[in-house]
Amino acid sequence: MSGLQNRRGFLATVSSVCAAGLIGSAKSFAQEAPPETTTLRLAKIKGICIAPQYVAEELLRAEGFTDIRYVVMESGVPLSRSLGRGEIDFSANYALAHVVAIDAGEPITVVGGEHLGCFELFASGRIRSVTDLKGKNVGVPSLGSSPHLFLSAIVAYVGLDPLKDIHWVVTSSIKPMDLYADGKIDAFLGFPPEPQQLRAHNIGKVILNSALDRPWSQYLCCMLAAHRDFVRKHPIATKRALRAIIKATDFCVNAPTRVAQQMVEGDFTTQYDYALQMLKEIPYRRWREFDPEDTIRFYSLRLREAGVIKSSPDKIIADGTDWRLFKELKSELKG
Amino acid sequence: MRAAIGLALLVLMAVELRSSGTVHQIRQDRVLPRIGPAPEFTLTSQDGEKFALANLRGKVVAVTFIYTSCTSTCPVLTPMMSFVQDQLGADFGAKIAFVSITVDPERDTPEVLKEYAQAFGANLAGWSFVTGSSEAIQDVRRRYGVFALKAANGNVDHTFLTSIVDRRGILRVQYVGVGFDLNEFRRDLLSVLQEP
Repeated sequence: MSGLQNRRGFLATVSSVCAAGLIGSAKSFAQEAPPETTTLRLAKIKGICIAPQYVAEELLRAEGFTDIRYVVMESGVPLSRSLGRGEIDFSANYALAHVVAIDAGEPITVVGGEHLGCFELFASGRIRSVTDLKGKNVGVPSLGSSPHLFLSAIVAYVGLDPLKDIHWVVTSSIKPMDLYADGKIDAFLGFPPEPQQLRAHNIGKVILNSALDRPWSQYLCCMLAAHRDFVRKHPIATKRALRAIIKATDFCVNAPTRVAQQMVEGDFTTQYDYALQMLKEIPYRRWREFDPEDTIRFYSLRLREAGVIKSSPDKIIADGTDWRLFKELKSELKG
Repeated sequence: MRAAIGLALLVLMAVELRSSGTVHQIRQDRVLPRIGPAPEFTLTSQDGEKFALANLRGKVVAVTFIYTSCTSTCPVLTPMMSFVQDQLGADFGAKIAFVSITVDPERDTPEVLKEYAQAFGANLAGWSFVTGSSEAIQDVRRRYGVFALKAANGNVDHTFLTSIVDRRGILRVQYVGVGFDLNEFRRDLLSVLQEP
């Protein structure tokens, strides 16, 4: 934390930058039509892998948004449901959570991909692969939570039945990571900053890293979505928000120390070191390499075979995705 | 600056290998999109003269953002541009121009920019390094969609964005970061140049 700028200095800098953004907002990026709305509500969750949207504020202002709010909420499926209820306008979230929400009929539209490689499966010493999890104690915060859904998909992919073959350990008071560190469970699925925290203390063994291990490394983890009506009524605002957050991924790649600092200053995390480590580990630069529809199809198939959703991948894609703006951006933003 | 140039040369060698590799996927978009009119600006060149983007109308222009005391990524981007400059041959200067805008105008005076340009082998007949008031620079980078914040130690953390502007002043494409394919960048410059 020694490299942190003091809060007053930081806020002064940000204020001047934001003021400039406000003054010039009428002549926004490349003089396209201005956004149909200047208000944008984004999610603020405990998970820190969606860092790009936490540091995109100036870029969003440059795109013409003047009222940018971060709404505190739970990550995973609850976030996607909040989108569906119109409590926020736009956010990154786990692809899998979006799929579950679309299957449940939530009016959300996934509009683009952001990054891959969020989660890591930690297991005790005698477990070497996912198939070894059969009959083992696997910790999750709750049944239906994102870690539970991800793990159900992961074990189903190797032929295990998530309902019969895994002994799910659910505790509301103690985090699965703590149970794992104490040797009380055999495995758990970690999301940033948990993997970074365990590595810092040299605890545990990773048997699946979604940034490296196939097939998970071939698909996006977090994807950007908005309420269906927001996309329909505000296509320019949607494209501008998408562009700002995609550009912010480059800031995460090129200035991780500054981004980690900004996340602390903005109260998005208290753990600077873990945020910095996470920013260095997640391959944010690879957003354009993956077809977002492939990711939705992949997770729809996995969740369907795990018995979590009923809809076919085609129905999920038809009901809850629109890639037109993302495709436009891909042709406008190379890299 | 010497250490930075040394680092840059090493990186450029890697970039060049990557660009010529058979594994690399070559994307061939037929016609680049027309994003909209490129944000105009009037700043000051490395020679201390007034410099306006509008004066380059009729040429294809690549606009990028750097600062001279950067020791991390800018020393990668500038040699990349220099490499493409050399590959463009007679078209460079006559038909294609580069503009590097500093994001650190307090330190990057015209004299400093000129020294930087020479250190990286920039052909100033077609490549301008420009500065201006803090307010003017902030306005330009914001309109191009570049994020920059100056730290207490003087370093400027910023996003990397290289924009191609066509002969009519229309913004056609932007390259995010410094990992882009130099062959594709050169091809895009030439394809825009060949448009009627």
